Amino acid sequence: MTEKKGLGALIRQNSVSLMFVVICIICIPISGLSPSYLINEIVTRMGRNAFLILSLLIPIMAGMGLNFGMTLGAMAGEIGLILVSDWQIVGIPGMVLAMIISVPISVLFGLFCGKILNMAKGREMITSYIISYFMNGAYQLVVLYLMGSIIPIKHSSIKLPRGYGVRNTVSLLSMRQKLDNLVAIRFWGIKIPVVTFIIIFLMCLVIVWFRKTKLGQDMRAVGQDMAVARDSGINVERTRIISIVISTVLAGIGMIIYLQNMGNIATYSSHSQIGMFCIAALLVGGASVEKASIGNVFLGIALFHTMFIVAPKAGAVITGDSMIGEYFRVFVSYAVITIALIMYETNKRRAKSAVGAELEKAQLEEESR
Amino acid sequence: MKSGNRILFRLGAIAVIIAIAVCMAVIGRGHTIYFDSKSGEYNGQAYTAPYKTEVYVKDERVAKLYDGERGMASTMGQTFHYSLEITPEKGGDSYTKDVTFKVPYNLDGVVINIAAMEAGLPEEAYISEFVPVPSAAELEDEEVVTDEFAGLTEGDEAEAG
Repeated sequence: MTEKKGLGALIRQNSVSLMFVVICIICIPISGLSPSYLINEIVTRMGRNAFLILSLLIPIMAGMGLNFGMTLGAMAGEIGLILVSDWQIVGIPGMVLAMIISVPISVLFGLFCGKILNMAKGREMITSYIISYFMNGAYQLVVLYLMGSIIPIKHSSIKLPRGYGVRNTVSLLSMRQKLDNLVAIRFWGIKIPVVTFIIIFLMCLVIVWFRKTKLGQDMRAVGQDMAVARDSGINVERTRIISIVISTVLAGIGMIIYLQNMGNIATYSSHSQIGMFCIAALLVGGASVEKASIGNVFLGIALFHTMFIVAPKAGAVITGDSMIGEYFRVFVSYAVITIALIMYETNKRRAKSAVGAELEKAQLEEESR
Repeated sequence: MKSGNRILFRLGAIAVIIAIAVCMAVIGRGHTIYFDSKSGEYNGQAYTAPYKTEVYVKDERVAKLYDGERGMASTMGQTFHYSLEITPEKGGDSYTKDVTFKVPYNLDGVVINIAAMEAGLPEEAYISEFVPVPSAAELEDEEVVTDEFAGLTEGDEAEAG
């Protein structure tokens, strides 16, 4: 009976991941894509997205849920890249300089976001989601009006013809895949961007190490119970702000790694969906609002992006229209987040009612004595 | 850690980061070098373009130029090494020349006229700044769409109607 219950709970806990495994198993043969092409694409997307998704782990550790505020870091990364492109700093030095520029902007955004999230404890996800929309307005003010008029932008390939504002697309041809191709090995026709993976691996090590530090332990304590953490002398508000600042800074750096792989910036839209897709990928990997691991990141990227690659092809084969597959993958991204949130609330209520039932039982026992 | 030491440490860290940023800005500065093989005149001295010039950067041929042609190469940093394989006359012998060129930091694009350089003229005669002319596509007005609420308000309906 216990075994049966355990298996059921296991399936329930990993239902999102299992659903994706099933989708992939069905879609891969239908899509007709060769295994080497598929693996190549997944490896590329792993290098492109892993750093960004890793940036989500620290706020989850601090009990702040899935940080949609990572969009703010993505904006900072984009600002860094736009400036560096205009200054014609190319290649790896261009990327490093963009990262250095993005860090103080990310810190400011993170501080702002963290302070607001401290005012909305328990509603961090929806608050960070709305902050990302609000800050998108501030980003547009900078990029659309201040760049070119107050912040010097020299090149007509970046500046709008009216004399101020940045074009819809900024080319990053001068740094396209420079990090990925710095040391790239081919293995059975699959290109492995070694340096990108080394950076991701180091980031994983930093996260593992960070969990064991005093600050990491404080974050875990805050994540488990804020009242208990406060009673034990932890500055809860400060710890939460630090977790958001770290996440935002890492998201800025992650966005630069992401965009160097893509080779261009969609100035007004690159950042807006990145939070959604990273969070969806993490949830697909089996993470929840309150618990996520490095393993969830990689499993999530593999499953979510396999679906992303095969869905349009499978859609085209099944219905004759590849757009169906496109709709499907966007629909699934949102659906995954919805399912994860419902499961989180259901589990929370179930745990609450279990505690309630135990209390009631204890009370009845006491009364019968 | 004492607060004085902490401030010093932080200032030191900021200084190191700024130093790295400056280094990146210097070593990562990209330039486009244009090679012209064009006959012309400088201060009354005429010069003629060689029959054929091949330009090599890092052992890779980046341009093969005949009279009146232009080639280009991208470089990073302020020192640009390149080799020229020049054939002065059709069917004649060619010779090779290694050149190191200090690219001015402030210039995005530099034009080197190989014919003038080979004629032994001073640097200002064969080096000039490349001033890009915006293409027709670049001059075309671009609509930036940022409105999340487009089409949802009465004003939009009126505009559309």
